[in-house]
Amino acid sequence: MLRATIALIVLCTSFLSNAETVHHKLHLNAGVYTAVDTTTFPMASFNWTTTFEAQNARITLESGDSLSLTIVNNDSIKHGFKIKDKTSGEEIAPGDSIHLTVFFDQEDYATIYYDHLNNSSFRAAGLGGIIHVPSNPEGLFYWNIKDFQKNWASQLVSGESVNWMTYYPDYFTINGRSNPHINQDSMARVVGSVGETITIVIANTGSSVHSIHFHGYHAEITYSSLNSAHIGRSKDTFPIKSMETLILEMVPDKPGEYPVHDHNLSAVSAGGIYPNGMFLTMLIQ
Amino acid sequence: MMTRLIYTILALSIGFASIGQTIHQLIGRNTGSKLLFDGNTIRTFGFAQAFGENPPIPGPTLTFTENDSISLDFWNISQGAPHTIHLHGLDVNQANDGVPHLSFEVHHNEHGYYRFRAPHPGTYLYHCHVVSSIHVQAGMYGLIVVKPADTSMTWTDGYEYQSDVNLMFSEMDTIWHHDSVLLHDYDTSMSHHMIPIPIYTPQHFLINGLSEQQLVDKVEIHGQANSSIYVRMANIGYLANRITFPAAVNAKIIDSDGRPLPTPEVSDVLEIYPGERYGVLLDPGQEYIGTASVEFINLNTGQVDNQQVLDVNIEGFYGVEDPNRKPLRLVPNPANTEVQIYVSPKLIGEQSTIELMNISGSIVISHNRRLVEANSVNLGQLPAGVYTLLLNTESGAFSQRLIIL
Repeated sequence: MLRATIALIVLCTSFLSNAETVHHKLHLNAGVYTAVDTTTFPMASFNWTTTFEAQNARITLESGDSLSLTIVNNDSIKHGFKIKDKTSGEEIAPGDSIHLTVFFDQEDYATIYYDHLNNSSFRAAGLGGIIHVPSNPEGLFYWNIKDFQKNWASQLVSGESVNWMTYYPDYFTINGRSNPHINQDSMARVVGSVGETITIVIANTGSSVHSIHFHGYHAEITYSSLNSAHIGRSKDTFPIKSMETLILEMVPDKPGEYPVHDHNLSAVSAGGIYPNGMFLTMLIQ
Repeated sequence: MMTRLIYTILALSIGFASIGQTIHQLIGRNTGSKLLFDGNTIRTFGFAQAFGENPPIPGPTLTFTENDSISLDFWNISQGAPHTIHLHGLDVNQANDGVPHLSFEVHHNEHGYYRFRAPHPGTYLYHCHVVSSIHVQAGMYGLIVVKPADTSMTWTDGYEYQSDVNLMFSEMDTIWHHDSVLLHDYDTSMSHHMIPIPIYTPQHFLINGLSEQQLVDKVEIHGQANSSIYVRMANIGYLANRITFPAAVNAKIIDSDGRPLPTPEVSDVLEIYPGERYGVLLDPGQEYIGTASVEFINLNTGQVDNQQVLDVNIEGFYGVEDPNRKPLRLVPNPANTEVQIYVSPKLIGEQSTIELMNISGSIVISHNRRLVEANSVNLGQLPAGVYTLLLNTESGAFSQRLIIL
């Protein structure tokens, strides 16, 4: 009995030695997004620096880590910050900052951090990113997918309400980019080898439902934030709803360059031009 | 002369295909036309199996046997942009994947072979992947069904079934069927195109290419009590579908995207998103006449844009001869000012309530009467539309859809 207790203590000590407090600072920046067709519209993002980038910062942790996070509001209006299923949400005055510490005990887990204020207006303006706790740091790819209705952008970034019952987005992005620019993002474009285990973390921080289709391969759903019944399903096409996170695992059985795209084919566009929307390719060697 | 030669080769090939087990043939056309439920006709693209055939929507269902090696001979007999066939979900090699510039395109008056195996029984799609937003909307899509060697099973060691039905959901926006959209520019030397597409606001919501009164007697879920009915479903539209089966058929979701679900899900309600496929097993324990609903849900607003209704007819008991089956029959259907309700002999003489319910759920006609073989109901001047006739008898309740023109 004593031997078992000592072994348990050693195991726990070993486990805890990997866990740590991880410090990060996010800057909430308002800026102007230049879309794939050179159209511009207002947007806001959480970035690592004070410089606006369309892609929100991605936070990766280890199981058992405590995230010590400072969020600085560089905008001229009040904003909010919430981690889905982890925090209740706090307000941040213009020019001010907040600090929070959150413990992440579950591995192979993904969630969304976002600005929760004004009935999703700020999130729809771009303010949403991914937090991921992988069990294996190899072969990871991330898709933060968003949709925008360009002529609503000024209202949303100002926190004004819109009538979501009339929403018709005309720009669609993955990690802040549209086809063909998405393929330039090494964390978005899946590049791997036959037999390799590839993990894709997907967060829908937009407002529409997207139905993602893989050419060439099926992938297994290993985590779904909205529907645990879907875990274990092998799919080539799957929906991801607004504010849902999914983790997929794929082991390619053949080489090739294959598309992945939204099978709502009206979303494979930007400003009404095909195929400048949610479309990229995977390259398996 | 060249064209005549191509047609001769095509005719010979079709003849050859008809006797081969693993060679299939499709012909891509861009001169199709489709009659809509409202009487209007629109231009379509599509896949045909014979030269001169108006391409049906959806295209012909291709049925393969598990592990078949398949050659699909695809001819493009259409002016304009090239076409391809994407074998959606079959996970074929890159050369046969049907994506322009990553595999091959088939140009006007040319043909090409797609060669692949079908290792997993299940439900799949095929569609053109050239400017797919437009060509799929135009009608270039169809269903692929892969069956195991034992065709009475869903898959080897799966579920046995006695009857099956295939349902493909899609929509059509007539604006997209104008020549100004369909006949888009296409420069084959470019790997990235810039093709304008209109805003998508479909007016027609289709099940197997039909909607509203076109569905009556054409598309239904039909089977017998104490038997299993395998329903294969696919969504090739740009909206989501929510299918609600009547509780009486005991629906169980068993597979998706050509793979068995690790845990089957007992549910009357199933959502299918663009490009997904699902298999549902129905196990009715009793006779039932009623409907299933198919809602078309806008992916941007979450609103139900439309609802179509499918007849569900579970008649008789599997393995038992029953001369009195079909307890309720409406003649004519569609009707104008009067409809006859024919009931089975076992219901004759029973006291009943006959009600007609409109699509909003309001009862617009109600009668109490003792049933005879043919029971006339005056429809008066009811507005045209889809209604449900409810018949409550001493033996049970029955319902059937009635179209009033």
